Amino acid sequence: MTAVISNRPLWRLAWQRLRQRPLQYLLCIVGIALGVAMMVSIDLANGSAQRAFSLSTDAITGRATHRIEVIAPTGVDESIYSQLRRMRHHSPMAPVVEGYTLVEELGAQPMRLVGVDVFVEAPFRSYFGDDERLDAQSVQLLTEPGAIVLSQDLATQYDLKLGSELHLDIAGQHRTAQVTGIVAPNDTLNRRALSNLLFTDIATAQELLGQVGRLSHIDLIINQPEELQAIAAALPTGLKLETAEAQKNAVQQMTAAFELNLTALSLLALVVGMFLIYNTVTFSVIQRRPIFGILRCLGVTQGQLFTLILAEAALFSVVGSILGVGLGIVLGRSIVGLITQTINDFYFVVSVQQVTLAQSTLFKGLTVGVAAALFASALPALEAMNTAPSLILQRSTLEGKVQKLLPKLALLWVGLTLAGVALLRWQTGGLIAAFSGLFAVLLGAALLVPPLVSLGMKALASVGYQVAGVLGRLAPRDIVRSLSRTSVAIAALMVAVSVIVGVSIMVGSFRGTVVQWLDQTLQADIYVSPPTTTANRVLGKLNPEIVETLKTWDGIRLAVSYNDADVRVVDFDRQAKLISADGDVSQGKRPYAWIRPDLGADPWKALDTGSGAIISEALILRENLASPPETITLETPEGDRTFPVLAVFYDYSSDRGTIILDNDLYTALWHDDRVASLGLFTAPDVSVEETVAVIRTHFKGRQDLLVQSNRSLRQGSLEIFDRTFAITSALRLLAVVVAFIGVLSTLMSLQLERTRELGILRAMGMTPRQLGTLTLLETGLMGTLAGIFAMPLGFALAWILIYVINVRSFGWTLQMALEGRYFWQALLVAIAAALLAGLYPALRLGRMNIATAVRQE
Amino acid sequence: MTAKTWWSKLFASNTSQPAFSQNPSATVIASQGAVVQIDKLGKEFQEGEIQRTVLQNVTLRFDSGEFVVLLGHSGSGKSTLLNLISGIDKPSSGTVRINDLAITELDERSRTLFRRDYIGFVFQFFNLIPTLTVLENVTLPQELAGRSSTVAQQSALHLLERVGLADRIHTYPDKLSGGQQQRVAIARALAHDPALILADEPTGNLDEETGQRVLQILLDLTRNTGKTLIMATHNPEIAQLADRVLRVQDGHLTRVIVHPDALEEVVV
Ligand SMILES: Nc1ncnc2c1ncn2[C@@H]1O[C@H](COP(=O)(O)OP(=O)(O)OP(=O)(O)O)[C@@H](O)[C@H]1O
Ligand SMILES: [Mg+2]
Repeated sequence: MTAVISNRPLWRLAWQRLRQRPLQYLLCIVGIALGVAMMVSIDLANGSAQRAFSLSTDAITGRATHRIEVIAPTGVDESIYSQLRRMRHHSPMAPVVEGYTLVEELGAQPMRLVGVDVFVEAPFRSYFGDDERLDAQSVQLLTEPGAIVLSQDLATQYDLKLGSELHLDIAGQHRTAQVTGIVAPNDTLNRRALSNLLFTDIATAQELLGQVGRLSHIDLIINQPEELQAIAAALPTGLKLETAEAQKNAVQQMTAAFELNLTALSLLALVVGMFLIYNTVTFSVIQRRPIFGILRCLGVTQGQLFTLILAEAALFSVVGSILGVGLGIVLGRSIVGLITQTINDFYFVVSVQQVTLAQSTLFKGLTVGVAAALFASALPALEAMNTAPSLILQRSTLEGKVQKLLPKLALLWVGLTLAGVALLRWQTGGLIAAFSGLFAVLLGAALLVPPLVSLGMKALASVGYQVAGVLGRLAPRDIVRSLSRTSVAIAALMVAVSVIVGVSIMVGSFRGTVVQWLDQTLQADIYVSPPTTTANRVLGKLNPEIVETLKTWDGIRLAVSYNDADVRVVDFDRQAKLISADGDVSQGKRPYAWIRPDLGADPWKALDTGSGAIISEALILRENLASPPETITLETPEGDRTFPVLAVFYDYSSDRGTIILDNDLYTALWHDDRVASLGLFTAPDVSVEETVAVIRTHFKGRQDLLVQSNRSLRQGSLEIFDRTFAITSALRLLAVVVAFIGVLSTLMSLQLERTRELGILRAMGMTPRQLGTLTLLETGLMGTLAGIFAMPLGFALAWILIYVINVRSFGWTLQMALEGRYFWQALLVAIAAALLAGLYPALRLGRMNIATAVRQE
Repeated sequence: MTAKTWWSKLFASNTSQPAFSQNPSATVIASQGAVVQIDKLGKEFQEGEIQRTVLQNVTLRFDSGEFVVLLGHSGSGKSTLLNLISGIDKPSSGTVRINDLAITELDERSRTLFRRDYIGFVFQFFNLIPTLTVLENVTLPQELAGRSSTVAQQSALHLLERVGLADRIHTYPDKLSGGQQQRVAIARALAHDPALILADEPTGNLDEETGQRVLQILLDLTRNTGKTLIMATHNPEIAQLADRVLRVQDGHLTRVIVHPDALEEVVV
């Protein structure tokens, strides 16, 4: 016997309900949409920046399989290239000179300037005509000095034609060049990639970038392994053979932690959104319990009921997710600037011309949105399904179940918190474990909300009566009576607000730490460097003549010069920042995390004599080392060299890790005596501001200089800091908006559910104002509870962020700085959000039709 | 300023015929019962395109201390009439005066306060606030009016004793039987000593015996204090106890007499 089951009547019921209560579903959809939008936008912005970088890297790499890398930051002498050519390998080989420039005509954003040899280009990059024949452009490129080729897209965007003049700014030195060629690759990918690049002849690039006679790297296409070995063997020290792939990975690795942090934050909004979904679905189930009971009595199966509820959730989650993806794309476009700025400040130069939407982003947004909704609605669906038909009819059954559940929830809280702590303590677990631990703690806290609310409200009912009379008694009891819903709203708000508290404490502590660190570290009065687009890192070098002039400048007591380069740390197999210095800009005031015991208080004297290196704590923390290593081995153009570690210093300017060496040692090993920045100490009676002004005008025409007083440098650094965290504040605000919607929909649903009860109150003589007060009292209470719970949770969050997440992501130790305002502001936000959410329902109640309300049931 | 004095002030300024200004002491009015004067009362409901006339041009007077029963088929408009009298619904036309105060002309707030202080309500079922105990339910109307809880509790306890629930004062409504709940509702309707009691099928949801007991209590508590009681019911037996029986039909009210044995009515 087969049973015929039709779901049609059920769909009709669902549809009718949707038409009766559109607002409730709308709010839920908005909640999902916001959660998904946050995730998508972060993903989009991250992805676009990454793709822009890897596209232009790809465009430069072309079909090269390998690359001969130069360890020395100044590049390699071209003679090496000639030597390699003379070995007559079969593999194609192409020299490249690379650097960054700003072009006035191209919106003054950083562009990659790539110098190539057109004669050997063809196998690698096909921008310059075919294999055999050189086209007219390429010939021009060769013959005209200052000839530049750019892409059709760029030319169109900035209205440039063949022959247009370009004004280049390379680390403050001004050069002019000409557009002699415009390339238009036929595939879109290449077109996009080229929008970041300028091509020149190799000689022009050397001239423009000030690297005459030197190459950045040599591209290769190697197919035979024997050839690979032969070339590798023939390479002199200071050069290394790498796959093209390795290069790209290194870059991606740099920003991984930064991106993971943003993603985790965006996930938070989704979690809050999930509370919202759970609430909406639970409501829609509870409100229909009588209907479901009747349906079950009439012969609707458990499975049908489950399907109905889940299908509804699926439907609005799909709508919400699609909206969310759309919104995310819009949002992503606006935050891509913020994210690129941070990447530029801290990691590498990239300019995003185009926000590109990866299919994976779309897919992730949709699936996570729908999955979250289904997960959140499974619980109420199961509950409705497994309740006996006769019991579904009873209103109080569910709340009775919840009351019985409270001790278990408290136990679960203990369990989750312990699991979270274990995850957080798992040193080698990495960032994913740390974030899992964080989420476990958050979720655990959310589970503790119902028992706490229940206890708190029971205690409050009697106190409330003393303070606010009957209303004071009714409000807390109403909250407890609908605990399954109210506690979810409170939990959602609590999580959102605790994120505010936690992130505020973290950012505040971070800022405080950085301010103090800047105060101690930056002791020089004036700082001189080439102008940079990236603010935090110096990209160019100072003209040597200028350095000499400034060192003997009148009124300058002491000049400290700095240079920096990328270096591979052999011990940890990763890139770090290398600083060479001829003096301590902090004059011994720099705080150290560790100093080798035999060195006393100032390790700089030992550094000056070239007897070792000072390394930053990020190197140690990110490698999970229990104590500072005795030595550190670096890759130098002279081969790997090991240096004793003299001290560990705090460095908040880089999360990759920094190594300081004496400049004599550095010059000897890296063959680089350039200077990237100068710290000048003025004589006692010299005015800093005047000196700054004089230096600025003195070198006009030779090199644009960034001359900053101590104060403005510090200000600038803090501006970068605030810029970095701008996106964080935007994200935490969004989480609160989602939570606000949660409270609003909870309240509205609660009131729908209690229409008759409220009608009786009104019939008995409760004024609209009193009813409004009751509503606001309830929401105010919910907000207050959420705010109060959010304080310890926010503190815990801050602790985790500061002592676990930050350490593992960036290797920074921060001093936690607590301020009262973080807490009371959060409380205010919670109460304000809740009261605001209560306003609409309160107003609506004021206009309620009592006669209709009393008729219901 | 207590709620009561404020209330009287409001009356004095807001109404053309200050019903209570001659009689500022509310308790005096209450113990006297209320006179309800209905004039050309009409009520229509708009349901989409269709307009449904439930009451049409009803003119009627309920005297102080009178017990009037409203009979009528389901859907005839009994509840609608009670709602109009109490002011929880507004008529389409006509006026309702209680002790010469035209409540249909009051604003929402004043109507509510009036109801709170001078009218007691008993519904068919789900009368009680589930989050409040029996005692708290009964003291609620007085406490809403700002009366001190000791004062409110005095009359509440007294009434709860009268309805036989003195031992259940701290119980929540969901633990009570239907009859017990209805007795609490009666106690609550009377606790603030209203002049007018409106009962909409107070026994409709109870078995016959329980219904009888509940009704008896209600009558005991109202009849000998001279309160006006208007009750909607389907039960002709109750009608026999009334001073006057009105049948609601086709938007009109007609006075009928119900014979004790034969279940027939005589239009008067
Ligand atoms: N809010 C409303 N909107 C539309 N029609 C309404 C509304 N309230 C009442 N009615 C209609 O008014 C008529 C009278 O309803 P009422 O509730 O007064 O009847 P009743 O005599 O109390 O019936 P019962 O004995 O079943 O309680 C009914 O036809 C009903 O459909
Ligand atoms: Mg009725």
